[in-house]
Amino acid sequence: MDKFSLYAAQMLSFNERFAPKGHNACKGCGIALSVRQVYKALENIAGDFDSAKWQIPWQKDTIVPSDNDHSQLSLLTIDKENGQTLDICFDNECCDKKIDITGLIKRQPPVAAASGYTYVATASPSHPFDLIDKIRSAYKSAGSAFVQILCPCPVAWGFDPENTVRLARMAVESRIFPLYEIADGYYRVSAQEKNPRSVKDYLSRQDRFSGWKKKKIDDLQEKTNITYEALIDKSNKGL
Amino acid sequence: MSSKNFKQENVGCYLLETGNAQPYKPGTQPELKPVWDKDLCARCALCYIYCPEASISRQEDGYFDVDLKTCKGCGICHRECWFGAISMQEVN
Repeated sequence: MDKFSLYAAQMLSFNERFAPKGHNACKGCGIALSVRQVYKALENIAGDFDSAKWQIPWQKDTIVPSDNDHSQLSLLTIDKENGQTLDICFDNECCDKKIDITGLIKRQPPVAAASGYTYVATASPSHPFDLIDKIRSAYKSAGSAFVQILCPCPVAWGFDPENTVRLARMAVESRIFPLYEIADGYYRVSAQEKNPRSVKDYLSRQDRFSGWKKKKIDDLQEKTNITYEALIDKSNKGL
Repeated sequence: MSSKNFKQENVGCYLLETGNAQPYKPGTQPELKPVWDKDLCARCALCYIYCPEASISRQEDGYFDVDLKTCKGCGICHRECWFGAISMQEVN
């Protein structure tokens, strides 16, 4: 973050439309933070945003886990003006099974791009202006759009509530959750991490990885590097 | 609306209707509250954009303040402040 982008928040409107009288989430909730930033992005643009529907309400997702998926997804569907939909996935990686390497490296965005979404992106609440840009361009895109947001959960992941934004940032910095967008099949990486953090640094801050052996962490580091290099390759080639 | 006790609730205190936060008074008793040091504050609004409770609001003079009715004392604003202007203090 450079010196002047600190003041970008002054450009936002200071009216509050997301839960102005409080909500019942735990303290330091990552999903509440992401939902609020999505509200900030769409509050002056989307006219029918109030009638948007939750396909899996986010209050339920720590209590009723699904059996058939690796990670628990809360899905907010917004109807766009041109008849298409904008699907936003709030992913807090909570399920009844233990988290594994296949759940940590996300496969949903490329699958969504292959299955007909014209605009697909990943976003993180630690980079709020990037998130706001992506939600707005997803809303303005011609076809249907899909945005996946990583939301740290202090209770299920096992860290102090004040580190919510820091953990989301570390996930981006350690290349385990790279920020990119796929518009009409073309990849573009939003923020390239030149000096990445090690994956071990990210995992050691969370209690849910306390049982992981060194071999498994090295395996994850290797797979993360391979996935990230493939992503950079696709971005450079313009595929 | 009067507040309920836990025996009148569903198992797991699981709320089924929407718009039901008010009778539970979220953030009535936080242990810590953020306090701004106006000499260090640059009014950059980063605490505003990172607050998950939407309890930080801008005052007329451009500085920021917290609404203790909804604040839960998570400390994200204290951790993310670029200038170190926010400190967490105990609520009396």
